[in-house]
Order: sequence, then C-alpha cells, then structure tokens
Amino acid sequence: MKEINRRQFIVRTAQMAGVAACIGVVWQTMVRGEARAAANALRPPGALPETDFAAQCLKCGQCVRACPYGTLSLSSFSDVAPVGTPYFMARNIPCEMCVDIPCARVCPSGALDAKFPDIEKARMGIAVIDEENCLSWLGLRCEICHRVCPLSNKAITLNIVERGSSKHAKFEPVVHSEACTGCGKCEKACPTEQAAIRVLRPEFVKGKLGEHYRPAVDGHFQTQTIQNNTDIAPEYKPTHKQKAPGLEYFNQELPEGKEGRP
Amino acid sequence: MTSLSRREFIKTSIAATTAATVGLPVTKAALAQAKAAEAGWKWDKGVCRFCGTGCGEQIATFNGKIVAIKGDDDAPVNRGLNCIKGYFNGRILYGEDRLTKPLMRMKDGKFDKNGDFAPVSWEQAFDEMERQFKRVYKEKGPAGVAMLTSGQSLIQEGYVAAKLMKAGFRSNNIDPNARLCMASAVVAFIQTFGIDEPANNYSDIEQADTMVLWGANMAEAHPILWSRVTDRKLSNKKDIKVINVTTYSNMCSSIADLEVIFKPNTDLAILNYINREIIERNAVNTDFVNKHCVFATGPYDIGYGMRPTDKFAFEAEKDTQKKQLVNKLDKYEAIAQRRPDMAGKDIEHKAAATAGAHWHITFDDYKKALEPYTLDFVAELAKGDPDESVADFKKKLQQLADACITKGNLMSFWTMGMNQHVRGVWVNELVYAMHLLQGKHGLPGNGAFSLTGQPSACGTAREVGTFAHRLPADLLVDNAKHREFTAKQWNLPANTLNPKIGTPIMVALRGLEDGSVNFVWTQTVNLFQSTPNSNHWLKAARKPENFLVVSDSYPTLSGKVADLILPTAMIFEKWGAYGNAERRTQVWRQQVEAPGEARSDVWIMLQFAKRFKLKEVWGEQPLAGLKEDGYPENKLPNVLEEAKKMGYTEDTTLYDALFATAANKKVAWPDPIAKGAKNSTVDFLGDGWFVEKALFEEYRQFTVGHQHDLAPFDKYYDDKVRGLCWPIVDGKETHWRFSEGHDPYVKAGEGFNFYGPLMKAIPSGNLDKVTDPTPKPLPGKAKIFYRPYAAFPEQPDSNYDLLLVTGRILEHWHTGTMTRRVPELHKAAPTSVLCMHPADAQKRGIKHNDVAMVESRRGKVKMVIDTKSSNKMPKGSVFAAFFDEAVQTNQLVLDAADPISAEPDFKKSAVKVTKI
Repeated sequence: MKEINRRQFIVRTAQMAGVAACIGVVWQTMVRGEARAAANALRPPGALPETDFAAQCLKCGQCVRACPYGTLSLSSFSDVAPVGTPYFMARNIPCEMCVDIPCARVCPSGALDAKFPDIEKARMGIAVIDEENCLSWLGLRCEICHRVCPLSNKAITLNIVERGSSKHAKFEPVVHSEACTGCGKCEKACPTEQAAIRVLRPEFVKGKLGEHYRPAVDGHFQTQTIQNNTDIAPEYKPTHKQKAPGLEYFNQELPEGKEGRP
Repeated sequence: MTSLSRREFIKTSIAATTAATVGLPVTKAALAQAKAAEAGWKWDKGVCRFCGTGCGEQIATFNGKIVAIKGDDDAPVNRGLNCIKGYFNGRILYGEDRLTKPLMRMKDGKFDKNGDFAPVSWEQAFDEMERQFKRVYKEKGPAGVAMLTSGQSLIQEGYVAAKLMKAGFRSNNIDPNARLCMASAVVAFIQTFGIDEPANNYSDIEQADTMVLWGANMAEAHPILWSRVTDRKLSNKKDIKVINVTTYSNMCSSIADLEVIFKPNTDLAILNYINREIIERNAVNTDFVNKHCVFATGPYDIGYGMRPTDKFAFEAEKDTQKKQLVNKLDKYEAIAQRRPDMAGKDIEHKAAATAGAHWHITFDDYKKALEPYTLDFVAELAKGDPDESVADFKKKLQQLADACITKGNLMSFWTMGMNQHVRGVWVNELVYAMHLLQGKHGLPGNGAFSLTGQPSACGTAREVGTFAHRLPADLLVDNAKHREFTAKQWNLPANTLNPKIGTPIMVALRGLEDGSVNFVWTQTVNLFQSTPNSNHWLKAARKPENFLVVSDSYPTLSGKVADLILPTAMIFEKWGAYGNAERRTQVWRQQVEAPGEARSDVWIMLQFAKRFKLKEVWGEQPLAGLKEDGYPENKLPNVLEEAKKMGYTEDTTLYDALFATAANKKVAWPDPIAKGAKNSTVDFLGDGWFVEKALFEEYRQFTVGHQHDLAPFDKYYDDKVRGLCWPIVDGKETHWRFSEGHDPYVKAGEGFNFYGPLMKAIPSGNLDKVTDPTPKPLPGKAKIFYRPYAAFPEQPDSNYDLLLVTGRILEHWHTGTMTRRVPELHKAAPTSVLCMHPADAQKRGIKHNDVAMVESRRGKVKMVIDTKSSNKMPKGSVFAAFFDEAVQTNQLVLDAADPISAEPDFKKSAVKVTKI
C-alpha cells in the first residue's frame, strides 16, 4: 500500500463512505440536503447556508486537506453531519481563523466561497453562554473565553458589574453576534467540565424580531426607518368579505343571564 | 436519590455549594440532594496555594481525597470567590505525574553524576545527599553549600530551613525565590520605615478615592483583589479614580480613568516630577513631615548587579556585562542627576559595593534635587508609546499629578514592575516619598501598598527570614545584638551564628558556575526555569563537582539537571501556615495523605538533620572574607566547648540540638485541635511531638514584643478565625501600622510613630556625599528619599532591537509546575506566546499565530507571535510569560539586578525577533 498520512486516510475513508452511501434514500436526502447537521457541527468559513450547503458540496474533502490545523473532518455515517460533508466541533479542535482561509480557497463546488474576503466576516457559528454555570458569571475571576477570543472586546466583551452582596465586582462575558465568527476557541478553552460557552450554528442561536417592529438603538426608536420602508412593512390585506367587520358580533343577542358585555 | 452515582453526588453538591456561595436561587430539592451527596464529606478551612492575595477556601475531603473546593464565604479577603487558579486548587494535587519516589542518578547500583535517574529508597537518597554535603562542607565550609527555598514554603518549613542552615550548618547561604520577587520591596521598607511589610490592608481598597497601579497587572496577577478595585470603581464611577501607570496596555486599563504608558525605568522620573509638583503646589503636609520624616539620599553610580568580571559571560553578552563597571551616562541621566556636563561620558560604578548606603540631607537639598524634573523634561524622557504625541503625554502626566496630589484618599499598588527593576529599591522609595510628603500612609484608604506575588512571601520568606541576610522577625545576621538575641532563643553558644551575609539566589547560582558553591538544595522552587540567564546554571549544574538536590512534587526543568530529586507533599497533604500581603497569617490542617513515598519538606529536613553531629558543624569552619568583632579572621570559631557547658555533647545530632528539644517534645501529638486530622510528618518521624505546633510556638517567641506579635498556634485554628493580621497585641489584630488608634505600638498623642528599629541612625551629607559620618539617629521617623532617574543597562540597539518584558498570566502560576498539570488550564493557555505590536510583526514579515525566533545575547527560543493579546504592546516592546517549560522565556533575560536588593530585573532585555 502506498504510504498515506493519517489525514489522507481519514479523508479517503470518509470519501468511500460517501460513495457507499450512493444508494436509495440516503443519497436522495443527502443530495437534497434534507439531512441536517447537528447544531454544534460547524461548517468551514464562507459556507453556504446549511439548507444549500450539503446539496452543493461535492464531498471531495479538499477543504479538510487544506486545513493546516486538522480542524475539519469529513463526516461519516454515524456522524453529526450529512455524510461526506466537512465540519468541525469547537470543543475538539476549533478554527484558527487563518487569514488566507485555505479551506475555502480550494473549494471547487461553491459550497464554500473560494473568494471569501475576510476571515473575520465568517459566521461559522455563534457562541452562547450558560450563565448559570459560567464561572465568570458566578463571580469567579476566569474570563478565559474573553482572553482566548481572537476578536476579544468585539465578539466577547466583559460586562463589569458590582456584585452587590460583597465588595468584589463581576466580570460577565457577553457574546456579540455581529462580531462572533464562531471559531470556537472559547468553547475549546472553557475550563468547566462541560463547556459553559458553546458555539452553535447561527440558525440555532439567532432569534428574529417581527418585521413590524424596530427595537430601540441607543435609546432612540428608529420610527423613521419603518415609515420609509413600506416594502418591508407587511401589506394590510383584510380577510373579511363582510360589509363591515364586527357587524355580526355586535348584532348578536347578549348571552343569557349576563348584563352588559361579556 | 439512591440511584445517583458518587460522581453525580459530587457534581450536584459542587453546583449547589457554588450556587449557595454566590447567592443564586437553588431549588429546595437540589439543596436536599446536595446535602445528601455531601453526607460523608468533611469540610475544613484552607488557603489558596497561589498568589499573595491569600484567598480563604473551604476544602471537602471524602475517602482520603479532596473532592471539592469552594471560596470561603467568611474569608474577608475573597468573600467566597476565587480566580480560575483557585477554582482548581484541589486538582493540583492529582496530576498524573506526581513524584512518589526519590530519584537519583545511578550507575551499577550507586550514584553516578552521569547516570540515569532511577528510583531509590529514602535511606539511599539521604546517604548520598549526606556524603555529598559533607564532601563540600569539609572542603569549602559553610560558604560552599546553599539552600534555595520559596515564598511558597510554609511558615514552619521556612523556620526549619533557616534554623538548620544558620544555626546548624552555620551558613547564611539560604535564600528564597522571594529574592526574585519581593527583595526590592523589602529593602525599601527597611530603609524607609526600619521594618518590613505593608502598613495597610486590603480594606483600604473600599476606602480609597484614587488608586494608582505602578507596574502591576493586578487584573491578572492578583485577580481577586482586582475585582475589589473594580467594585470600588463601579460604586462611584465619577469620583473614584483608577490610574494604570505601565509600560504597556494591559487588562487593568479596561476600567482605568487614565493609562500612562511610560518608557521602562522612567517611573523614577515620573515620581520625581510628582514629588516636585507636591512641593510646587504647596501640597506638602508640613506638620506631618516635620514631626515624622527626615530626608535622605544615597550614591548614584551603583552598577547593575551583574558580575564584575566577564570570565563566565557568553561572547555575545560581554558588551552588556562591561556596563557593570563603566558605562556612558545618557543625556537624560546627566540632566536628572545634575551633572549635565557628563552627558555621553563614561562613569565608573564606584559605589557598587556600597549601593545601600544612605545619609541625611536637608529639605532644601531635596528640593534642589527635584529641580530638573520639570513637566517638559519628564514628558520628553518618559513617553513610552512612539505613537503618542508629547503633548498628549504631557497632559496625561499632569492628570496623573492632579490625581496623586489630592485631598482625598490615595492608594498606590505595585508589584513586579517596580520590584524587578535595576533601581527597584529606589522606585519603591519614591512612591513612599509621594505618600509621606502628603502624610498619606498607614491610614484607612491612604497608603503605599506593595502587593506580594507569592502566598507566603511575607509569612515565610520575610517574616521567618529565609533570606541570606535575615533571621526571624526582621533580625539581621550582620547585627551583633540580633545574633545574640537569636542565639539565646535558639540556645546556641555565642558566635555559632555566622555574621557574614550569605549568597542571594543569583550569587548562589553563579557560584555553581564559578565553583564557589558546589552543593545546592532547592525546595518548592524551579529556579532553573525561573531565573534570568538560566542557560548558565543549566550547564553549571552538570559540572562534576556540583551536587544539586531538587525537592518538588512534580517533574520540573530543575529536576532534569539535578542529581537527586526528592518527592514532596503538597499544600493540603501537610499541616501548614501562610502569611499574605496584608500581614494575615492563615493556617490549615492536613487534609489528605501525600501519594507514595512523597514526604513533607519538614520531615525531609529533620531527617537530614539527624545525620549531623555537632562536632561536624560547630567546630572551627573556614569562612573566607570574614572580618568581624569577636570572630577569628576568615574563620567561624569552634564553639563545641561552650556547647558542652550548655549540656550538648559532641555527638548530639542537629535534630536533637535544634528541633527535638526538651521544650518542643513536650508539645505532644495528638492534639485536640486536630479534630481527627492526620499528621503524616509526625507519623513518619515517629517520636510523638507535634512538630508544626512546637516550631510555630518557638518561632512566635521571636515576634512577641517585637512589633511582629503573632497569636498562639491554637488561636489560628479557631473555627471562627479566618487568619489574623499581625501585630496581634492583647488579642487584637492590627490593620494599619504606625498610626495612632490603629497600631498598639503607637502611643496616645504621638499621631504617628515609624518605630521600625532598623537603619535608624545614618550619617549626614549633601546630595553628592557624606559630610559628617557620625550616625545621627532618627527615632520614630520615616525617610523621604531622593533617588535620581537612571537608565537600564541593555538598551535596544540595531541588532537586538526590541525590549522584552516577562511576567505572569491569569491562567498559570510561575513555571507551571502545578497549573500545567490541570488539563483545563493547560488547554486555556497551552503555550507562552510573544505579545507584539502588529506593526512590529508586519515589519518582520510575521503574522499573528506564526512561530518566530526570539533571540537575545543569552539564548534563543521559538515562540508563537500574538498581536491580538490583551497585553497591547507599544511599538518596540514585546511581552512573554515565563510559565512554559517548552519555551523557557527567562533564558533570554538579562541577569542584571538591583544592586541594593539583588533582585533581578526581568523586564528589560534587548531581543530580536525573526521570521522562520
């Protein structure tokens, strides 16, 4: 057997698994991207949205080979992501955020944006903190996530507050999704038995406000924006075909034994 | 409940205790579960193993193991909190590679300097150690052997070590790693106040209006104290000021109102500018100064604590070493030292041997000395960030002066930036001057507070006196009265004690290289990684005539170059006591047993003492250079005849003469204060006296009535006590020293009394020299020193173009011997990185996370470059921590030291960084 290194071996095994999977329903779901990766299976930087990613990805493993840190793996059958697709788990090996993004550069399929401009714009995931088990939130001086964060003071800031019950301030780490790339270094370094900060793919973390509402920014409501954005505001489409909404109700008899309105 | 495994029990209860600690709501069910889980646990008080803050902890043991740790809610220092190192305090005992057997270099069944390490019995280990010690002792006398200990040694360990070396072996070659950490602070305390250690306490944080950090990254090095400073700042953001005076931007700047980035060593000039301003602005507290202070100064040309010869220097370091004798005064030094015509000219360091001398000067002279330190001059000299304008920096200096010259309460804090400094004693003294000129010291919320780095740098190294020049409770070996008092306490014949100051750490290590010291025994310290310029000693240790014994609990780099490695018990595996930076002595009981054949340092030293008879040590001993009243020249006298009159025989062992005395043997084990706790030291010793208690009580006799009063041993073990701050007089602690109403040694009506007895009579003179050598006493007074600006010796040049600063980080302790055994901490900070300005990296073609070569005149190492660290370096400076054995940062560092304190300057070495 020709000598191959461990990484190549892993890639090939996964590729073979991919080939073996070319049967029936499995292939179907894989190609259609119906199989979903687990929330903590993170995609390389510059990946398409998850719904398109698995379908677009050729399962060629080039990104895995290009990663200088051994961060990426190709998933196999029992894995947390659709078979043959690249992913990483932050608690195992996080992304080192190479400035030249070698994994994305080699992607032949477009599943990763080969021209992805800036690693700091990557959104592989978002860190979330379990405040009940985070040592810093409990008042201890840990802050390791803040210290290891490659975008420290942008992606993770420390909210410093009085502890109230004693004379020691608390240094609470807070994650900011507008800067967090999801590299996972915080989850990797978190010293608690189970990480109290975890990186999940953005769709598992991000909520979404109703389109009708704009929150206050720095204490000023952006009412202007709403007025000027009629295209975003939902169009009012009355569903009642009656002459006048409410007529039917108003014209009903009062329920028995009740005076006035119910 | 019943289905819960033991592991789950533990987890639940840790969660519940942590939650209870921080006041989070916990469900009743969870609490009940936790209580049940803890049913078999025993909780007892303890102290954190790491920094000088001295956080109280509660330790839970179950089935002979430490199962949990929590911050002690009742501990006034930390109120139930810990930093990330304290969180893992229990885990450090359980690293996979704990040493459990003595290891010796062996070949064909016996010791061989070139052999490989093999496990041996304690008997074999002691046999060889004794043989080697006696070989060197016979040949070179007390000066040929050295014991190097630690500010992490327990109080009792320090006491045994000091007594064994000084009274037993009659050698003052004992020095703690506090020499690398606190020595400059110590000398400044003694020169200024006549007595060591801070006058203030941590509660001053909650009473201060302005807090100034001078060369202290408190946020990382004293994490829990920093949360107190931060809390104070948050309590009144507008009026409470925090100022970070530093050579690079660090975590502390995040809450600071003002960050002043200065060029290394110019802190001397900045402080002189402030002190000049105090006078200019008529802010001198004249009444206080007249009543309680005098003015003093000393010689300027004192060298840099390097060797006076280049015989042992590497070729590349010879140019730096030359400066020990002669160097050029730069233009700023020339102006600052009032000899402008000397700019660019050679000066000889003639006062290197008398660096500590000082004399009275007048206030007028003091004022004259400060004249050069105008705002313009200091701003131009001291600006540390090339990207900042002089105008902006000037504004900052003014703001700093405004904040320091205040009617409000003023606290100064400092650590290694001011202690590890070629003029460390000077710069410490200038901070005291700033406080004393305004009468702001030793009062609630007012004081100059030198923070200690190690858990018992104060309690052991300083108070017990494990330094080369000290005896217990601030007594000195070169003071006849002090020796006499000590001899009485220890029941020694007159002139047993050696009056000649021994070798500080750097001199002992240099001794391995130059052949003056051949036997070195290290305890609780990893000097071959931590000392600067370590490549010299790493090599020297392997010379055939040298024998190196390393006592430690884990493998260290020092052990790698040793001949014999002794496995030691760690903190909670023995009874012990620590003293923190606010003079708080804290104790614990033995909680668990040490693994395998690991033994406490006290047991090891006592066993070793059994192998020496008085006739081997108390006979005449050679001591080159000894010239002292009452002693023969170059010799320590034979004191055996007198010893016999005192009831000793020639064959009495040092164990019996010094330790297992009749009085000590009366202190019996078991003792009710143990409450069921074991004492392995006593068990293995096997003769039934309570070693730790007897020795503590014996040591306490030095302190009582000498302004250091400790409480009786049992008092510290009271369930309600969380350490006590000395002096403890009539059962009452002292939280502020020297001021009336706070300190029992200050009488009513005195207001203040700086009663420290040392260096309290000095000659008189002017700014340049002594004019009247008659010692003039200054009873009860503190000295306000004038010390000039002086530059550091190894300035960056075109080849070594960057300045390396070394230090600590939050996650790791010292050389990582313990914290690197905690996988979580190792994972959080696996390697020592080089923090660098991004532009400096770019200039060298290096990117963040690249590995680069870092090289000085003394060595080179590969390091990962970090341009994004919380340590934000100005252009031209780089920072690296020293915890990483794989990197060995300190081999790069110049071993220049403060000539007065002999403490090396770890902060100013010229290096170059190249792409690989």
